[in-house]
Amino acid sequence: MQSMNKASQMPMPSERLLELDNVGVHFPTRDGLVRAVNGVSYHVNRGEVLGIVGESGSGKSVTARSIMRLQPRSAINAHGSIRFRRGNGQEVRISDLDWQGREMRDIRGGEIGMVFQEPMTALSPVHTIGTQIMRTVMLHREVSKAEARNQAIELLTRVQMPRPNDIVDRYPHHLSGGMRQRAMIALALSCDPTLLIADEPTTALDVTTEAQILELLKSLQQELGMAIVFITHNFGVVADIADRVAVMYLGRVVETGTVDEIFYEPKHPYTQALLQSIPRLGRSHGSRLRTIAGVVPDPYNVPTGCSFHPRCLHGVAGICDSALPDDVQFASGQRARCHFAGQIVPAAEFA
Amino acid sequence: MMTAPLQDALDKDTLISVRGVKKFFPIYEGWKRREVATIKAVDDISFDIRKGETFGLVGESGSGKSSIARLILRAYDLTAGEILFRRESGEVVDITRLGDRDMRSIRREMQMIFQDPYSSLNPRMRLLDLVGEPLLIHGMGTPAEIKDRVAELLGLVGLRPEYVMRYPHAFSGGQRQRIGIARALALNPSFIAADEAVSALDVSVAAQNINLMQDLQEKLGLTYLFITHDLGMVEHISDRVGVMYLGRLMEVGPTDAMFEKPLHPYTEALLAAVPQPDPRGNRARKRVPLKGEIADAMNVPSGCPFHPRCPYADEACRKETPELRTVASGRQVRCHYAETLDLVGVSG
Repeated sequence: MQSMNKASQMPMPSERLLELDNVGVHFPTRDGLVRAVNGVSYHVNRGEVLGIVGESGSGKSVTARSIMRLQPRSAINAHGSIRFRRGNGQEVRISDLDWQGREMRDIRGGEIGMVFQEPMTALSPVHTIGTQIMRTVMLHREVSKAEARNQAIELLTRVQMPRPNDIVDRYPHHLSGGMRQRAMIALALSCDPTLLIADEPTTALDVTTEAQILELLKSLQQELGMAIVFITHNFGVVADIADRVAVMYLGRVVETGTVDEIFYEPKHPYTQALLQSIPRLGRSHGSRLRTIAGVVPDPYNVPTGCSFHPRCLHGVAGICDSALPDDVQFASGQRARCHFAGQIVPAAEFA
Repeated sequence: MMTAPLQDALDKDTLISVRGVKKFFPIYEGWKRREVATIKAVDDISFDIRKGETFGLVGESGSGKSSIARLILRAYDLTAGEILFRRESGEVVDITRLGDRDMRSIRREMQMIFQDPYSSLNPRMRLLDLVGEPLLIHGMGTPAEIKDRVAELLGLVGLRPEYVMRYPHAFSGGQRQRIGIARALALNPSFIAADEAVSALDVSVAAQNINLMQDLQEKLGLTYLFITHDLGMVEHISDRVGVMYLGRLMEVGPTDAMFEKPLHPYTEALLAAVPQPDPRGNRARKRVPLKGEIADAMNVPSGCPFHPRCPYADEACRKETPELRTVASGRQVRCHYAETLDLVGVSG
């Protein structure tokens, strides 16, 4: 922990866009303190796509919202730092900013855009798509109303919205789920962000629409060179879009690596078990799915030691249930938070 | 109610036969409630479910897959068609023509598992009441017998029998889904329709419940109608699959054969759209996403309903509606060009 804090004093490498170091977000509730995010560290370089996967309750969305400083009032930012490199190259410590101060408001929407899971609740139902985009543009750029409208139409064209000249004057309820998600992406891109946070942007969509939105995000990312933090619980989606992946469990990142490392050489038993529990297309049917024993523990009673140990096939009493494992780093840069990282071979692939 | 011709209308190993079923919903507008349009939620669907098999139904939202389950259980009355069901006694009935009293006794033999384990269980009822309610309604046993049976059912789905006095809020999503399964099993049904039964669950929990459903099928000789939008899941659990689009069945066939080599362009597109947990494979196959979106059910395109999005469509597809017809090796498809198209599926 001490060495980590030292690392957060050093300037970020020049390619680094965002760096989270030992971030903790807690929520006091009637039933006790929930450590929803409990020491999360990850980083995003310019122009790369970081996929964040985990089951519900792993803290992936709460972490993302603390980057935007859009947290419920009850949230306690217990520890850690979030640093972001602004467009002028200057490094700011987002975690130290006033959440509604001038600088944070410039960054939010101006340099970091966000796409939410449920476009119907994230978009305003009483304003047209055009108005919502124009407001964001006019807030961050000094442009006239007419210019902002033109930019809105241009943005809708960029996200391949059919009939952008018509849609600009429509309300969200006029649009289908896929079109709403396109409108939300247009809104998030309205100020050319260097970082886009996409929180389960395709989860509510049908597979064919999901494929369209993923292709769109990939092409926009290449065209605009922005970095994306892509949060999902779907391993297929993350394999499709991410360059690097962070796997989260109970408020911690348990493993990070390139997408190939995570999928073909997972080092953490949780990643290994999850990958084996997904039915894959093209496998013979009828075989049994591997499961992970038990359920995700409730957040008031996070197990001691490695929080995965009660469900782990390889847990060793006396070690895994007592000491929090270190983040073991491998030569390739892959990291796994496991006492036995590198010694565990995934159980034989199910045929 | 039993008629001789019905007895012969069903193959020995067929449990349910859905024949030419249609369900139209009228749309009313204005204070006079004038009928302005109809939504063809289910339009001329026919398929058989064999005894002991799992029949999967896939399709995008709005394709009518849930409506079919509700029609089979007769939560809706249908607009046209017939649904034959072979009772445990061997008697064959057309459930669309039964009165309420007969239908109630049939419902002992067919049950449903719902998608959302949070809204489908009454939060004010204990497990004893929730799982025991079907027994009570059908007058099966004294309170003491019901209590024993509930404990037995909880054990069957892997919940501790001591939980009978607890309320659903004390359980996780996956456990609630098991409560729903126990409730569905209470009357010893032969057929269960599972509507997106694992879609709301996390992967590790979904896998546990899928395995449970397969164990129960083996143990109790159940027949499943498994409705989902998750193609990986349907491939895993189903023996045969039907693919739906805009209220119509586009293709029916054995799972392995269909996924290996689909006959309908829509099946091909669906399979291609699923992102695989295989980064190298995803990079290797260049995905061309399907254009456009599923059409408005009030405004179904002429001819083949899929033609505006189909990469192979031509003039004939715009004009003529293809019929669901049987092609080689007992597979059925609703496409003019099923024999000539060389479509790509997924391989292991």
